[in-house]
Amino acid sequence: MPQSSAARSERRAERSLGALSSLVLVLITAMCLFVLLKAWPSFSHNGPMWFGWGGNVDDQLAAIFNSPANPAKWDYTIRTWPILYATALLTIVSVAIGIVVSTLAAVFIVEFAPPSVKRVVSPVVRLLAAVPSVIYGLIGILVLVPFVGNHLIGDGRKNSVTFVVQLSGASLGVAVVILTLMITPIMIAIIADALRAVPNGWKEGALALGANRWRVMWTVVVRSARPAIIAAAVIAAARAIGEGIMLAMVSGSVGFAPNPLDGITFVFEPLRPYAATIVDNAEGLSVKPFGQTIYAMAAVLLFASLMLSLGGTLAKRPLRKYGVRL
Amino acid sequence: MNSPTPLPPIKRIDPSRAPKVVDPRHDTLGAADAIAAAVAPGSSNRVERMRIDDLSIAYGTKPAVRNVTLPVREGEVLALIGPSGCGKTTLLRSLNRLTELTDTAVATGSITLNGDDIHALEATDLRRRVSMVFQQPNPFPMSIFDNVAYAIREQAARRPSKSALAPLVREALEDAGLWDEVGDNLDHPALRLSGGQQQRLCIARALASKPEVLLMDEPCSALDPKSTEIIEELITRLREKVAIVIVTHNLQQAHRVGDNVAFMYLGELVEYGTVEQVFNAPRAERTQNYVGGVFG
Repeated sequence: MPQSSAARSERRAERSLGALSSLVLVLITAMCLFVLLKAWPSFSHNGPMWFGWGGNVDDQLAAIFNSPANPAKWDYTIRTWPILYATALLTIVSVAIGIVVSTLAAVFIVEFAPPSVKRVVSPVVRLLAAVPSVIYGLIGILVLVPFVGNHLIGDGRKNSVTFVVQLSGASLGVAVVILTLMITPIMIAIIADALRAVPNGWKEGALALGANRWRVMWTVVVRSARPAIIAAAVIAAARAIGEGIMLAMVSGSVGFAPNPLDGITFVFEPLRPYAATIVDNAEGLSVKPFGQTIYAMAAVLLFASLMLSLGGTLAKRPLRKYGVRL
Repeated sequence: MNSPTPLPPIKRIDPSRAPKVVDPRHDTLGAADAIAAAVAPGSSNRVERMRIDDLSIAYGTKPAVRNVTLPVREGEVLALIGPSGCGKTTLLRSLNRLTELTDTAVATGSITLNGDDIHALEATDLRRRVSMVFQQPNPFPMSIFDNVAYAIREQAARRPSKSALAPLVREALEDAGLWDEVGDNLDHPALRLSGGQQQRLCIARALASKPEVLLMDEPCSALDPKSTEIIEELITRLREKVAIVIVTHNLQQAHRVGDNVAFMYLGELVEYGTVEQVFNAPRAERTQNYVGGVFG
């Protein structure tokens, strides 16, 4: 009977797809468990102070790397506050700038750009979203870092902090600029898609009530695309948090917490987030306690991205009540 | 396997039933003069809100409305009827300049609101005074309150407080006959309402800015019979407050709610008159055919 054979092959396809997706779930869970297990000694030795401050985090990493051979005497002491701070600072600042810039850009592309501009800009934005981050890093280290180091930071400024940290040009400012540049295209693409999907009836309805185009855009179109803006911010934040190579290149890679009280100098101070720390220290992984410390940083990143997607879902929930499409 | 069933024979249109389309300016019934007299200024003692004068609209090279002249009077419901694609919706949308949203639309002739050319007004100001309800209910994804308050907030120079808005919102919802149903739940999302309630919310939203003319583009075509009945009663009631122009392809509806009826065909105004005259004693031959249900 041909019909039952079709039904059987459908069932088979269903089952194999189900198995495949369960396999992915199992793999991800296994990976999380593996990382946590590897990271545990570092967390258990430091307790909550793992996230605390005290001492120089780079010196602490070096001490861990140079631990004695006897496992009983392994050094685990680390206070990662400067790295945590750097990760949060870079992510929050660049996502915040990114939301504003990408929403404005998406509004322009969707609603106000002449058709000829639209035709060019939309594919270019998608292309930019796919540029590998290492290329951004390269441009940063070859162009932006020397420019900032040679022209924007005067000797006076360099001397003022010479006993604390060296200002080479690789800095918070450059890292934020390039990180924002890197995450904005994907945000523009997501938000523009959402703006395009807003029903024409809503726009026409608002225009027919005497709102001008600009107001219609803000009060109806962008408003109803808020879930997409949140989704874009979550995706961008995940990308920013996990960005290692580019930030290792342009952030200065110093376990230093830039101090906002330093005024303008703050922008020129170097830093290093978790992901860049992992990239920078990949060679040391064979030293057991050092490897476990690095795994602990990976565990923090994993947890952060998990929280991000959870937070994104929660943030969208109150919007659903008003029938905003998700 | 089924044995192949014979196809039904192709039905040919009986030539005697084919619509007789005659230009009103050349028709043998002599309707053109009578209609011209009916649309002329001063043919009624009611105040004229809007006047459409020799209006033609084309999308690119494709004409949609040809040389239409019509009055819109206070205290009356003007029903625009005609088959699909006859230009009635285009005509309606030109009254608050929504046709301008289509880049290719070109209009000649004039439309006035209380004697002022509508193109001399700010589009936003015009659209507050001539507001519109669409075919598909389109409440915004906000609360009921925010939907009704939308136009008031948009026209205010400073953002009005919620307590200042509340009586205006209530009045608009009462006018639209929705207050009894939603008065206690103003902060509920508008998109949770039923289709008929959504459409009445859209009417309330359009009334909130106290317009002089209310345009309705087939407001019941997406609704069930019960909601349609409620909205038709509403239209009959609202006519005292605001001049209404309603586009409908439902002749019974035009008959029920209209005071004056304009019949359009292929972009031209074929017939204009009171509802009794158009339905019981149509002057033009095409109107006779249409209201007799021969085509359309």
